[in-house]
Amino acid sequence: MFAGTRTDYLILLLALAGIAGSWFIVRAGLGNGAPTAYIYRDKVLLATYPLPDDDRVIHFDADGKLGVSEISIDHHGVRITSSPCTTQRCVLSGVHKHIGDMVACVPNHILVSIRGSGSADGSLDAVVE
Amino acid sequence: MPSSSNMSTEPQPALARPSLAALQSQMRWLTLLMLAIGLHVFEAALPSLGPWFKPGLANLVTLLALAMLGPRAALSLAIGRVLVGSFLIGTLLTPTFVISLSAGLASALVMIAAWRFLPGISLIGVSLIGALMHMLAQFWVVETLFIHQAAIYYILPPLLLLSVVTGWINGALARYIVARLNHG
Repeated sequence: MFAGTRTDYLILLLALAGIAGSWFIVRAGLGNGAPTAYIYRDKVLLATYPLPDDDRVIHFDADGKLGVSEISIDHHGVRITSSPCTTQRCVLSGVHKHIGDMVACVPNHILVSIRGSGSADGSLDAVVE
Repeated sequence: MPSSSNMSTEPQPALARPSLAALQSQMRWLTLLMLAIGLHVFEAALPSLGPWFKPGLANLVTLLALAMLGPRAALSLAIGRVLVGSFLIGTLLTPTFVISLSAGLASALVMIAAWRFLPGISLIGVSLIGALMHMLAQFWVVETLFIHQAAIYYILPPLLLLSVVTGWINGALARYIVARLNHG
């Protein structure tokens, strides 16, 4: 039932090769080091916070297109605790802590990307506000 | 006396009725549309496996329309299910709707092109290409229209890998369903 044609397998092979290549490039851009939250509004880098390994809780208010998205960062990870968007998908997506994770409030134009502390941020056109 | 021509009892020419085959085709399209809308709403209620990631069950119905009714029916079904489905779940004209419609359209167009022009391809390959295009189009629309930040692409490779898996499974299911419907 799941067997494809020769063309299907060729497409699969090309797709997997493309994904592997892009994954390799992405991993290089994510950097090593401690997981760090990079908070953006559009192209502007609003703040960066290393994820704390103690009991500290960091609150950051990201001023987006619709209003303020409240972001909480602690040793569990990063989450958006409140947002002015209607769907609240960003809030419902919960906690993110691994390098490569992200949480975004699309209507409010806010993105939190978790990368290694040594990631090459300049390659992503970020502007520090 | 005024003539009573409007009361004439002469037989009027019969209205042109659609053929039975045309009616059956429309009925099949409507049935598939209802199924696609139901799956669209169902998928919206599922817990998220990742940002903008869905199993693509509604796309499976677009595949069925493509194989059974042709490219025009598949394209109209992809648009119709996003319009009605978004209305039902309350996301009409929101960013979610824009992302869903753009990705659905891009996916349907690429699947139609693959189905018509790639020799030896089956519904599995078509579905695989559609799933990948759906994911790529979503990220491109989010980056271009909303987030304006290329950092979102960091999460794309694992989601593309999931799309390969779901695309292959959906394609196999679509091929099985089409075969059963054609011979059942």
